[in-house]
Amino acid sequence: MLLEVRDLSIEFHDHGIPERVVEHVSFSLDSGEILGIVGESGSGKSMTALAIAGLLPRKKMNKEGSILFEGEDVLTMERKDLRLLQGDEICMIFQEPMTALNPTMRIGRQVEEALRVHHSELDAAARKERALRWLENVGLNDSERVYVSYPHELSGGMRQRVMIAAAMVGGPKLLIADEPTTALDVTVQAQVISLLKRLNKEERVAILFISHDLSLIQQISTDVCVMQKGRIVEQGSVEHIFERPENDYTKRLIAAVPRVEL
Amino acid sequence: MFRIWLLCMLLKNKILRKIFACLLTLLAASFAVFAAFEIIPGDAAVSRLGSNASESAVAALRVEMGLDKPFLLRYFLWLGGLFRLDLGTSYSYGIPVSEMLLDKLPITLCLTLMSMAVTVAVSVPLSIFYAKYARSRIDRTGYVGNQLLMAVPSFFLGIIMTWVFGSILRWFTPGGYVSYKKSFGGFLSYLILPSLAIAIPKCAMSVKLLRSAILTEADKEYVRTAYSRGLSTMEVLYRHVLKNAMIPLVTFWSMAVADMVAGSIVIEQVFNIPGLGRILLTSIANRDYPVVEAVIMLIAAVVVIMNYAADLICRRIDPRIRER
Repeated sequence: MLLEVRDLSIEFHDHGIPERVVEHVSFSLDSGEILGIVGESGSGKSMTALAIAGLLPRKKMNKEGSILFEGEDVLTMERKDLRLLQGDEICMIFQEPMTALNPTMRIGRQVEEALRVHHSELDAAARKERALRWLENVGLNDSERVYVSYPHELSGGMRQRVMIAAAMVGGPKLLIADEPTTALDVTVQAQVISLLKRLNKEERVAILFISHDLSLIQQISTDVCVMQKGRIVEQGSVEHIFERPENDYTKRLIAAVPRVEL
Repeated sequence: MFRIWLLCMLLKNKILRKIFACLLTLLAASFAVFAAFEIIPGDAAVSRLGSNASESAVAALRVEMGLDKPFLLRYFLWLGGLFRLDLGTSYSYGIPVSEMLLDKLPITLCLTLMSMAVTVAVSVPLSIFYAKYARSRIDRTGYVGNQLLMAVPSFFLGIIMTWVFGSILRWFTPGGYVSYKKSFGGFLSYLILPSLAIAIPKCAMSVKLLRSAILTEADKEYVRTAYSRGLSTMEVLYRHVLKNAMIPLVTFWSMAVADMVAGSIVIEQVFNIPGLGRILLTSIANRDYPVVEAVIMLIAAVVVIMNYAADLICRRIDPRIRER
């Protein structure tokens, strides 16, 4: 098993009253698989993702349970050991590619960064060569130009492709995608989804795909966890969830009415 | 290729336009400076000859100094001289103003450079330190100290320093000074305390600015991305955050340099350093207008140039500014 989340609970402490954002969440992901987590905003899905990526602040927060990545607990790991995984084995892409990229750094340097951190054996030319190859691999044909561009010079879809290239450049085993298509328009969304599916197949990278959009989850993943108010209310294979949903909340989600609760 | 070429041309054009604007600013400043001495009461010829001089002697001297010519003509003559770097002759010393300035400029320049070097070298690591321990006890204590140092004027710090290091500890002779022509090392050592007196409030201000800029930047999402690639906190700060956080500081530093040159008037008086500030003061007292005008033009030029430099550096740091 590549990733095993066991009984994960996360509690905030920064507003005086403790706030439980994730409660007793358990799921697992095998290498090469795609697992979708679906839920409305505030359901704790992003918190779960950040916890797995080791990006939650270490203070002001109470974390219980365990997150086993290849048998080692990310949650209790020393920071320096965690850093060896981050960017190399576990990578993450975010919702808003404009703000997730450093506005004053050229694309090339950002794509190469994981290599610079984790593969000191590569020299500048080898890093550049790999970065260019990855920019092309994610569908940016004008890779030489993109390499020297700044984020604001690219379109939203291109930026997300850059983020994916920067995440994949180190050859990770797990890619966490936190609402990667939410900020993009529909056609670009479909392209990014098919790109992620292709990478999953070609590179054998496991993907944890987080979205509020059940139809996207249906397109990309094999298994689904449905989260609500910090808990997993239902989990199973995509077919199972869509054909025989047991939970009321899941049924309502499938009814595909984007509900706005006031 | 063509697009890049076009962009280069456009940028060059922008730079040219900016230089043109700088020159225009200086021209306006020159007129203001010249007109100011026309308006304020007092006559250079009288002050040179003394109030007991006969009217005919004053009139003769006025002709000799060219003061009898109409105001605008004198202005254009002076302006023409500026372009040829001929700043006129000092009324009180009878030597070319440019010679006087060249003699004094290195002193004030050294003082400014030393102050700036201290400001940059101390404030950047200190800001990072405070930002790293943000909202901790160290940070809060630092904040109080910082506010205090920000509020203390340089001349007061100068007086305290002279008192502590000069009169009590006797590390140096108060009011002592070695010319840079005699011994450069000795000269620099006499500039250490004055430059500290100038740098400390600027440093405090820089720390305040940079600390908050770093904290603002640290909350941005690209920082989380950087962490997700396995960078350490220090790497994230130095490689990603600092560059973005420097933008407000560059502007502040450019103003600080201009302020240091103009503020040398005060600090040079406190430490008895015969720099630009000193000749400015004595020239004002002697109504030695060519010198005063030259020094003020020099300060104006520093302000304009520093502003321009800050603009260029900000463009260099942030590509988004370039396109505006």
